[in-house]
Amino acid sequence: MAFQSTGNNIPTPKASFSREKLTAYLYILPSGLFLLIVLGFPILYSIFMSFQKYTLETLVSRQTEFIWFKNYSDVLKDPAFTNALQHSFVFTIASIFFQFTFGLGLAILFNRAFPLSNIMRGLLLSGWQIPSVVTGTLFLFLFNLDYGLINFVLTSLRLISEPIGWIVQSDTALPAVIIANIWLGIPFNLILLSAGVSGLPEDVYEAATVDGANGLQKLIYITIPLLKSTILAVLMLGFIYTLRVFDLIWIITKGGPGSATEVLPTFAYRLSFINFNFGRSSAVSVIMLLLLLGGAILYLRAITKEERL
Amino acid sequence: MRETSLDPTERFAMNFVRLIQFVRHVMRMREVELALRFTIGLVAVAIYLMPLFWMISTSLKSQTEIFQTPPVLVPSDPQIDSYRSALGLPTNRPELYITGALYFKNSFIIASSTMLLTLLLAVPAAYALSRFNFHGKTTFMLFLLVSQMLPAVLLVIPLFVLFKMFSLYNTHLSVILADTALALPFAIIILRTSFIQIPEALEEAGLIDGATRLQVLWYIVLPLIKASLVAVGVFSFLTAWGEFVFALSFLAKPELHPISIGVFQFIGMYKTQWDTMMAFSTLVAIPAIVALLFLQRQFISGLTSGSVK
Repeated sequence: MAFQSTGNNIPTPKASFSREKLTAYLYILPSGLFLLIVLGFPILYSIFMSFQKYTLETLVSRQTEFIWFKNYSDVLKDPAFTNALQHSFVFTIASIFFQFTFGLGLAILFNRAFPLSNIMRGLLLSGWQIPSVVTGTLFLFLFNLDYGLINFVLTSLRLISEPIGWIVQSDTALPAVIIANIWLGIPFNLILLSAGVSGLPEDVYEAATVDGANGLQKLIYITIPLLKSTILAVLMLGFIYTLRVFDLIWIITKGGPGSATEVLPTFAYRLSFINFNFGRSSAVSVIMLLLLLGGAILYLRAITKEERL
Repeated sequence: MRETSLDPTERFAMNFVRLIQFVRHVMRMREVELALRFTIGLVAVAIYLMPLFWMISTSLKSQTEIFQTPPVLVPSDPQIDSYRSALGLPTNRPELYITGALYFKNSFIIASSTMLLTLLLAVPAAYALSRFNFHGKTTFMLFLLVSQMLPAVLLVIPLFVLFKMFSLYNTHLSVILADTALALPFAIIILRTSFIQIPEALEEAGLIDGATRLQVLWYIVLPLIKASLVAVGVFSFLTAWGEFVFALSFLAKPELHPISIGVFQFIGMYKTQWDTMMAFSTLVAIPAIVALLFLQRQFISGLTSGSVK
């Protein structure tokens, strides 16, 4: 740079402008570079690998082969993939539906202060940051055939006649991991929806009460329409975070029994680290990435819409 | 009775009575409503906290009480042997061998390094995003938002290759780098919002007095956002504390394993030692629960400003 400020001089506007830009880039550089290497590179490399024959053999011989969309067509023809995709959708939609419903219900509940409401709300968030390995272990125990609390409660209430082997039975394993995931997701939904609900104008509700609207009508005709963009944002974030859930399922069932709880992330992980078919695994990852990207676009639209309001 | 058949005075009287009834109805409703809200809240909290309560309660039970039907809610004679064996201390049950203390040490190393690295990278980047205008700013922000949505499974294979290449495989550094990539985008977004709230005039005074940007940032701005720094630090710590996939994939040596892998392997090895397993889980969950207790407000405002607004 031609112009060097001598420290205690006040820089001229032009110099300060270019200096400022330089400072900005210098401050951004470490993070930018870091993220480019640790996040950007993996994305590109995954896409690259997904077009290659990349297995344990090719890894040893170091002779990978460019095979265009072969991995994709193989994956799409694979019934195991269709199975995982189906489970992913069931897992995601069921989890979001209940997390959201409970979250919204609780957000509305706590929107008006009542005795101990703040403490109760705080307690409902206590599980938010708990590692999923703990949640997984905990639900493994709760769903245990012989000593699990859930079987005891259900048999005591006579909802089931005898204990169910939730996790070892293929027809109940998916509901079991969904329940664990719902529990995990409630704080997140409650926090975001609470923020939305508390920002709603009070007078609209008062007017509706005077007009004789009941609670359900207020929910359908006022709360939901006014919260539309928040709701869309929360649902899309829920979609993104739920579709990529891996740890919880891997810890509780490892995708089993059989492939009863295999979802896209566990399927991709299995293809890589158990079958060593990295190319095909990357194809699954990229398909998942495209689904997530779709969710991300909808989410970004929802939040930018809100900013314009 | 048809209202049209009444004369004006009677109609007025009737409407007046109705009004009074309506007001009394509403007043009664308020109390009923509060009681209803309180009850629903209580039930929700009880159901939500049941898994956590069960975890702690089981961890303190004696071997016989764990397998008792009907289940014992509160242990009659709490024992802490389970905690001792989870930490690898000598107990009456030598058949259980867990190197718990080592797991905690490893997790602590990984989590605190991730925290420091995240803060070190996030502070300048967030500051630049809040103060300067430069090319690519919007793109960078968008990249930050989207990078939070990447599935760990997608990252794990390319990173595996990358870390092997730089002989970082089987080092804590590999997990620290990957965990930082998970925590960094959120950290930058949150810190940026905190920086924006600090009036620029404060800095201008410092700049005119001849301080450099870095001095201004360090001595004037950072002390003002201490609360956010703490929240972001704790958040990054917790991200790494419970992280599972990267540790599972990059650390093959048992002596490097963090707690998440410790718990996971424990499930496979000692399936019926529920008390120790729950003690271990409780110890892993404690930092998350304590952090949430103290930093609830910061976490909530961080989440809402980082994702919906």
